[in-house]
Amino acid sequence: MSARLPRTPGAALALGMREMVPGIPAMAAWSLVTGVAMAKSALTLGQAVGMSLIAYAGAAQLAALPLMVAGAPIVVTVLSALMVNLRFVIYSAAIAPSLRMLPLQQRLGLGYLISDMGFVFYMRRESVLRDDPMRKWYFLGLGATVFFVWHAASLVGLFAATAIPESWGLDFVGTLALLALLVPMLATRPSQVGAAVAATLSLSLHRLPFKLGVVTAILAGIAAAVLAERRLGART
Amino acid sequence: MSPEARIWIAIVGVGLTGIVTRCSFLFLGERLVLPVAIERALRHAPAAALAATVVPGVLVMDGSVLGAVENPRFAAALVAAVVMWMSRGMLWSMAAGVAVYTALRLLLAA
Repeated sequence: MSARLPRTPGAALALGMREMVPGIPAMAAWSLVTGVAMAKSALTLGQAVGMSLIAYAGAAQLAALPLMVAGAPIVVTVLSALMVNLRFVIYSAAIAPSLRMLPLQQRLGLGYLISDMGFVFYMRRESVLRDDPMRKWYFLGLGATVFFVWHAASLVGLFAATAIPESWGLDFVGTLALLALLVPMLATRPSQVGAAVAATLSLSLHRLPFKLGVVTAILAGIAAAVLAERRLGART
Repeated sequence: MSPEARIWIAIVGVGLTGIVTRCSFLFLGERLVLPVAIERALRHAPAAALAATVVPGVLVMDGSVLGAVENPRFAAALVAAVVMWMSRGMLWSMAAGVAVYTALRLLLAA
């Protein structure tokens, strides 16, 4: 993961798309499940499709859905989605140093494509991409792949909802994909410490509303990894 | 306001939260200078985010933490992690996890 990017925009874009391929089954499964949940709710089909296309955030959609259906105040619904999406703020901060030189429109356009999986893929190369002029194309390749697969699969879920039983456990495919991404990252002691702290905290706080336990766990995990790095004098 | 309109306003509001959070640190561009220590610390964000999402995804079922025996996800995740560690192939790891999960689920249901 330390190689530089290809020297043309098209090749860098294609590399991003190709690298995202192993993530496609998981994203499709996840998005399908979210689409099914939207379709099976009390929303009309039009609203369910609108929700999927406009929100573009599976976990936030699932959190907001019951509130919307129950007629909760709009402010409450939007705030709960905001809480669930808070992890994107951390992703945004981590990606900002490598995109900060771009014009505003490009920054916001690429920012809109941030996703859990796209973020993890990009960060694997981030330290060598910092000054690479092709990095925005690579980012676009990763982000656009996630975007199209997500929306395509969610539409399938919306329109084929009754044909997809919950017992398949499709959401677990998404978890397995994230696990596969996590394993190679655990090669150093600081990252092991960070992951262990994040996992423990996230598990013990899983009852907190709006997935606030996840954001807390991520921040604590980062802090723990930094402390471990200092304690061990590890080079990065 | 009609219930219909309220739903659509809420949908747009939920969409805006995605845009605001994703673009939060990108609005400022070159005017944003993060301290080097923070920048370095954020390199640990991917592993922390993954661990914080994966572990509850494996161990929490229907709102409570379920351990090895009654939870087919636990063994499936262990096998998937070992396969990933040895093969480095994401798709192999996922296939192994799905196979173990499905087999155990069918066994438990029988």
